[in-house]
Amino acid sequence: MNGIHDLGGRHGMGPIDIDPGQPIFRADWERRMFGMFILAFAGGHFNIDQFRAAIELMHPAEYLESDYYEHWLHSLEAWCKANGSLTEQEIEDRVQKLAKGDA
Amino acid sequence: MPTMFAAAGVDDLVKTGGSCRVSADVKPRFKPGAKVLVRNINPVSHTRLPQYVRGKRGVIQHDHGVFVFPDTNAVLNGEKPQHVYSVMFSARDLWGAEAPEKDKLYIDLFDDYMDPIP
Repeated sequence: MNGIHDLGGRHGMGPIDIDPGQPIFRADWERRMFGMFILAFAGGHFNIDQFRAAIELMHPAEYLESDYYEHWLHSLEAWCKANGSLTEQEIEDRVQKLAKGDA
Repeated sequence: MPTMFAAAGVDDLVKTGGSCRVSADVKPRFKPGAKVLVRNINPVSHTRLPQYVRGKRGVIQHDHGVFVFPDTNAVLNGEKPQHVYSVMFSARDLWGAEAPEKDKLYIDLFDDYMDPIP
């Protein structure tokens, strides 16, 4: 799709970070996101191209404002909701528990 | 990598990364040196063809081998294995007369994205 992800040739996006010394994970939640992706992938929730396609369906403004692994989270939630293994309510409940420090 | 990934492959996937290369016996439509015209397609589903090369003329540089076609695999419409090539474009063809004359852009493109130029 001709989405916001197709940024080749766009101006005004700032320099590309090509620092080879940058960390693989910039936060611990990113490390967990990687693990969740691998497990959901191996669990048959999506193939790699379906996974990328769901990222492209993100709201354009949200896509640009969020980090790489947030894109992964969006796709993982989208596919798990689509196949019925996760509901929006379950996500909300979990977020509420985490917000209370109760997880 | 098959359409759905098997749990037995997780360790290798994490250690070495994944590849969508497949061993299917598919004939290439292009040889290195062939001139190609990139198709102007605008699917609303997933594609690995960036907008900036659509409708442009390039030259096949190298054949990478056979891979799962993302455009069909993303909508569970089959793996449609096909050759992927490194294709060279002149910067001026992509970005206009003000681009440096000698600059080239190399991009990997699937067989289905291109037509031959006689």
